[in-house]
Amino acid sequence: MKLNLTRFFTIRKVLSLLLICAVGYAAYSIYYKVKYWGFSLSPKAVTDVWTVDAKISFRALGGDVKVSLAVPNDRDGFKILSEEIVAKGYKITQDKINSRVVLEGKDKEGKQNLYYRLSIYDDAQNVALNSLLAAKIDRPILSEEETIQMRKIWELSELQKGDKIQKAILAINQEVNNPTMSLILPLNHTAKEFAEKVIQVLAYKRIPARIARTIKLEEGRKTEKPDIMLEAYYDGHWTLYDLNTAKIGLPKNWVIIQRGGVSLLDVKGGEDSTVVFSVLKSVASPLKMAEHRAKAHDELWSYNYSMYTLPVFEQNTLKWLMIFPLAILVVVIMRNVIGVSTMGTFTPMLLAMALVRTGFWPGLICFSVMIALGLVMRALVAKLNLLLVPRISFVVIFVILLIQVLTVVGYRLNYTIVSSAIFFPIIITAWIIERASITWEEEGAVNTLKEILFTFITAVVTYFVISNEYVRHVMFAFNELNLVILFVVMLLGTYTGYRVTELMRFAPLIHKEN
Amino acid sequence: MFEWLFNGKKLRENGVLGMNDRNYSVIAKYNKRSLYTLVDDKVKTKRLANSININTPKMIGIIEFQYQVKNLLDIVKGYDTFVIKPAHGSGGKGVLVIKKYDAKHFYSASGDVLSFKDVYQHVSNTLSGLFSLGGKYDVALIEEAVNFSDVFKNFSYHGVPDVRVIVYKGFPAMVMMRLATKESGGRANLHQGAVGVGLDVSTGLPLNAVMHNKPIFEHPDTKANLMDLRVPFWREHLIIGSLAYDMTGLGYLGADIVLDENRGPMMLEVNARPGLAIQIANGKGLKTRLQEIDEKYPLGLSAEERVDFVLNQGK
Ligand SMILES: Nc1ncnc2c1ncn2[C@@H]1O[C@H](COP(=O)(O)OP(=O)(O)O)[C@@H](O)[C@H]1O
Ligand SMILES: [Mg+2]
Repeated sequence: MKLNLTRFFTIRKVLSLLLICAVGYAAYSIYYKVKYWGFSLSPKAVTDVWTVDAKISFRALGGDVKVSLAVPNDRDGFKILSEEIVAKGYKITQDKINSRVVLEGKDKEGKQNLYYRLSIYDDAQNVALNSLLAAKIDRPILSEEETIQMRKIWELSELQKGDKIQKAILAINQEVNNPTMSLILPLNHTAKEFAEKVIQVLAYKRIPARIARTIKLEEGRKTEKPDIMLEAYYDGHWTLYDLNTAKIGLPKNWVIIQRGGVSLLDVKGGEDSTVVFSVLKSVASPLKMAEHRAKAHDELWSYNYSMYTLPVFEQNTLKWLMIFPLAILVVVIMRNVIGVSTMGTFTPMLLAMALVRTGFWPGLICFSVMIALGLVMRALVAKLNLLLVPRISFVVIFVILLIQVLTVVGYRLNYTIVSSAIFFPIIITAWIIERASITWEEEGAVNTLKEILFTFITAVVTYFVISNEYVRHVMFAFNELNLVILFVVMLLGTYTGYRVTELMRFAPLIHKEN
Repeated sequence: MFEWLFNGKKLRENGVLGMNDRNYSVIAKYNKRSLYTLVDDKVKTKRLANSININTPKMIGIIEFQYQVKNLLDIVKGYDTFVIKPAHGSGGKGVLVIKKYDAKHFYSASGDVLSFKDVYQHVSNTLSGLFSLGGKYDVALIEEAVNFSDVFKNFSYHGVPDVRVIVYKGFPAMVMMRLATKESGGRANLHQGAVGVGLDVSTGLPLNAVMHNKPIFEHPDTKANLMDLRVPFWREHLIIGSLAYDMTGLGYLGADIVLDENRGPMMLEVNARPGLAIQIANGKGLKTRLQEIDEKYPLGLSAEERVDFVLNQGK
């Protein structure tokens, strides 16, 4: 049997295959853009950008000053958008290993204010914690009294729920409030003292632990004291605990500023030092954040060759263009699948585009009035029997003057309905008038109105598709969908089924045979 | 109310040809684009037709340039009646049939009295492309008026009935007669409200009649019983259609034929993308017919042999 290749490679099959490829490519692209560039399917999606301001104040003693501030590092879940230090006359060094900023100044005297500002985004909730180094400690040497105390606490901890550490935290929490047990900690202890106690208790069981200073990201928050949490090394990894509730992990929108017992702020050559943290929240569109995200994922190359790096003007033009293929698809479907006949192939599309600019009702009303006036004028001119080109030219000029008058009058009277005239494409408008008036003469008013109505309906359907915020966003952010549209349109070019209107048109042919 | 939405399956079973199917599977396949110019230009069509002895209204002359317009009277000298039409016109646009004229006036078939100036203007407009596809410059074709046979007098209101033969691969596939009505303004266009009468290809007998897509049985104006319609010179009609294929090479075409009292059936024009309303007039799907021709009809016959083959199918 001879293999029939042409049978196998029909146009439709080839196009379907290409369509599948395009769909696959678009799907991958969407996945890629969402994952690496942080694009969102929704136009309303925003990325929270938190700005943490640390204001360091101290009084310099007149000599050399060295300030060292613990700062969050980008291994701790959040991504850093920008880091900014305002410290005039200070030498700035970033100590990445210990996550500190060091500011050195010479011969400073009097009140000093230094600023450290950090913008972060994308809370990935303590993903990085596990990757920290393993740790080990020996059991501390304790007095007999202390040993009894430890045993007691661990005994009591058995009554609590959770893992070993959670149990210990909860037990200590409970005992602290028990006046008879106030031996453990003074009644009005600080959070840091409490944390140190827990570390001590854990050390008894040879569980390494340390303090973590965190800040809750909350709009308008201002604090001198970061919140203290506990990190313990247990079961082969570091875990973060809330010291009040013993809950595991960093809650959403918290950032770790510093870990380990070292101080938050060290000032040498100065006194009365304070650091005040304040938190500000702002939002950015995912499109704006894309470059940073691409960079963070080492995918900057692909991003640089996308249209999102173009200047705003070009981007806006492209954004406008990216919606065309969809509008074209709508027209193709309306004509070849639904079977609506319109004046001119893409007239409805251009009309819809104009409606997007004018707004629906103002545009529709204004345009109808223009067409009506144009038709009246054209009917008067028909009597003059002008030659074709001058006649069309007349209509075009008439439309231009009409647009001018409507726009000026509309503007003066503050009537947007009237002034939206300016957005309609002149040639298209003139052409619809010319075509309608010819149809009117030849096929009567009914056919003309039908044709105008169908053109309007198609334009309105197109309008509703392309004016949708989501659709526009998606077509711009995921522009590879246009490739899919391309092949869908081509495939529709091989569609041989009945048009919807034909189902009605040919209905008389159904009752025949039986 | 919306049952028609589910008509698809039945239409397919009845072999109804849809617009998309016609464009994709028939026209795109069998009508080469380069052949279109043969039928889009009526002057060319006429010359071609005459070269293989297809009967058409005799060409009197053509006016190509504005300066020739004033020669109109010289051109039509010796003819009592004549027709001016744009070579690239369609749908009857710009066709002016002059019944008689004298030193001052022209009298059109539709009853208008026109001055010389009016007629010149009309020719001028024609040249400027007023009536032509895409508004391109055109030429005015002047030909003899058909001396319509009055066998159809009772079946048509004012206008002139014509026979539309759909020819597929040279075989007459489907035929209808289009009859003008008051509503259609004397024109034979179905969508303007003319009556379409489907005629059996092999016998020429009426099958079915429609107006505005709905079955009717008598002419709305003359009240004539449409089933009584008989077309003389049936075979000759079909042969003209069949020859149109030889002449143009178009695998799918529609030939418009009118009946002249003295000269018999005459081809008025050939259409490279004839419409599908003929199916409704015939009450039959065209696709079934095309498939039948594809599968059962022999190749390599002459026009007359093809027509005879079709005529024999009815016996
Ligand atoms: N030679 C003629 N004599 C009489 N009537 C004619 C003649 N030519 C055309 N007509 C009339 O004009 C109509 C349209 O002419 P046609 O040649 O088919 O041009 P179109 O391409 O515009 O349809 C015909 O249906 C017929 O009624
Ligand atoms: Mg015609």
